[in-house]
Amino acid sequence: MLKKSRKYSLLWLVVLMAALLIAAGCGGQDAGTGGDSEAPDVVKLGFLSPITGPNSAEGAAARNAFLMAIDAANASGEFPYTIEVIVIDDASKPEVGAAGAQQIVADEKVVAATGHWNSGVAEATIPIFKQAEIPLLIWGAIKEGLTSPENYPYITRSAPTAAQENEPLANILIKDMGYKKWFIVSDVTSYGEANTEVFTKILADMGCELLGTEKVQEGTVDFRPIIQKIKSSGATAVYFGGVVTEASLLKNQMHEAGMDDVLFAGISGIYSEDFLKIGAEAAEGALAIKPGIDPSKSPEGQKFLDDYAAGGYSEPVGAFTPYAYEAALILLNALKQCGDNPTPAAMVDAIKDSETTGIMGTTTFNEFGQTNNVAAYMLVVQDGKWVSFDESEYATGTRVLPQP
Amino acid sequence: MELLFGQIINAILLGCTYTLVAIGFSLFFGVMDVVVFCAGDIAIFGAFSIMGAYTILASAGIFSVLPFTVAVFILLLVASILCASLGLLTYRFSVKPFENTSALMPLLSTIALGVVIKEVLGLVFQRVVNPLAKAAASGGEALAVQGGRNPQAMPVLIAPDGTITERNLIIIGVTLFLLLALFLFLNKTKIGLSMQAISQNKDLSRMIGINVNRIVILTFVIGGVLLAIGGFLVGSYNTIIRFDNGTMYGTKGFAAAVVGGLSNIYGAIVGGMLLAFVEVFVSGYIPNGTAYSSIIAFVVVVFFIVFKPEGIIGEKTVEKV
Repeated sequence: MLKKSRKYSLLWLVVLMAALLIAAGCGGQDAGTGGDSEAPDVVKLGFLSPITGPNSAEGAAARNAFLMAIDAANASGEFPYTIEVIVIDDASKPEVGAAGAQQIVADEKVVAATGHWNSGVAEATIPIFKQAEIPLLIWGAIKEGLTSPENYPYITRSAPTAAQENEPLANILIKDMGYKKWFIVSDVTSYGEANTEVFTKILADMGCELLGTEKVQEGTVDFRPIIQKIKSSGATAVYFGGVVTEASLLKNQMHEAGMDDVLFAGISGIYSEDFLKIGAEAAEGALAIKPGIDPSKSPEGQKFLDDYAAGGYSEPVGAFTPYAYEAALILLNALKQCGDNPTPAAMVDAIKDSETTGIMGTTTFNEFGQTNNVAAYMLVVQDGKWVSFDESEYATGTRVLPQP
Repeated sequence: MELLFGQIINAILLGCTYTLVAIGFSLFFGVMDVVVFCAGDIAIFGAFSIMGAYTILASAGIFSVLPFTVAVFILLLVASILCASLGLLTYRFSVKPFENTSALMPLLSTIALGVVIKEVLGLVFQRVVNPLAKAAASGGEALAVQGGRNPQAMPVLIAPDGTITERNLIIIGVTLFLLLALFLFLNKTKIGLSMQAISQNKDLSRMIGINVNRIVILTFVIGGVLLAIGGFLVGSYNTIIRFDNGTMYGTKGFAAAVVGGLSNIYGAIVGGMLLAFVEVFVSGYIPNGTAYSSIIAFVVVVFFIVFKPEGIIGEKTVEKV
């Protein structure tokens, strides 16, 4: 009969499909804007971020901000050459990012690069930039160890690390608010692992109870088994150490399961307009830490927000968008130090020794290239909007967070 | 005890979502002897059709003119028509041209079609006005969001003012109703019986006067409608849909169908439930088990294929020597 020999090929198919599912994701393509390489008076910078794929909102907003700063610099006439940017879409995939990094280092006019929302992608491109001796300034990936004595001085980072971000979060939630019974949910990416590791350690140091840890695959849509587990564990607070898609699903399904009496707090990866999309009702009361200082608090920062709004971009400003803008300011500052003929070697020194005051305060780098500018502030969802916690009705006591 | 009960409900609900996609696989495999791999994507296309139609019709004020259930019925009708058309397109362009070739051809072409459906969804639904979950029922205002290829909120159309338990019961109820309707259709109607005849022997069916082409086309239409409703339930259950959800549902649905016995639609139910129970219980009872739930579920699938290749409810095919 027709079906006789199919059973075995079906076995292989299932195995193959299982493998495909694990590696599932979506394709991305390069969005190179590399210009005319013949022009003698052009200096190029590389920029990498996920413009397609699951983190496209953050990646595209960062690109917009970075290009906004570079365009302004070109228009100002302060530089004797035109600065061009090679924009690489890494689609949040290490292999795509690595290919993009190769494309950047292959261009002789490139003097520096900046990039990365995903720590995993940064891990893939760092060896390439190091080998090519082209400085890479990281604006958004927060895993510890990306900046290290081995990677110094080529790799610097203007964003805080997972520890630099988690500590202020823990200080507020545990020391100030008194949440002691925790459940950690994160994803299996480098970002999720890094956050889980750091936060687990903080909980132990602060004498809190960790009632469970669950890591989910990216693309998980059903969190109910975990939620049931959280419910029966007696945790009073859930820490989410991943990015926005899974966070919004988890929060939504927790709300659905009637668990509004459990605090939901997350790392800056969940700070996004997307998180609010699940509906004001479910998102209400969720907390997120955001690195840096509130841009709207300083005139420079407010100018950035106004300029960005005036730019008519479709992606709103995310947690790391100001950092991408700041990265541009740091690179521009370094370019200025290098005079009329910047080289990658000169840029390496110029970046590591730079002192740049931009919209996020003053950035300098420590002995292995990590920023000394550590600041963070808390946000809370109130009526479908991210509001600075200190200015929210939760701070004044009009609304209350779940009991610790 | 409460934990166990909750997890069983979770597993049954997840099983319902897998089952509906698995039945799509079984139906198509039954009549055409091919694995139509884009079944999961067709289902998610159904969910997106509902969301899209909702966005358009809700802003046109349909919910204020018509009673809620009638409006939801219209949305389901729109999605069913679109999915049935997509089922027809699948048949016409990805299955029929390869009718007399190796089974790998339609498999490959439907995988390709699945990628097309997925990417088109990702592109089309980039910037939509996505009304807040409960906006329509309570006459609230729509919220403009940037979608990117990020998840879209599925409008709450099942018991919008009810509790989550009510909503879940409705999802289970609708799934049971669909299964019952399908059972009656296959066993009590002439078309259903013709489908079964074709699945057993196409040549003989042709000889006894069954219009095989017509029945096959009908199967794809019915499969499309089933998948549309399946996608609606999947989206409503998850509360969020993403353009690439179909890949996961396709793989899980296919695995469920194979475990149950690919040519048997009742096997799809058993397979779907088995897969869901393994996943939920690994995730719910093993500390830090969630990261491994899919892996263990697929190990179970492979185990079944090795030791029971005909499927749990499949008939043993006897090779004629």
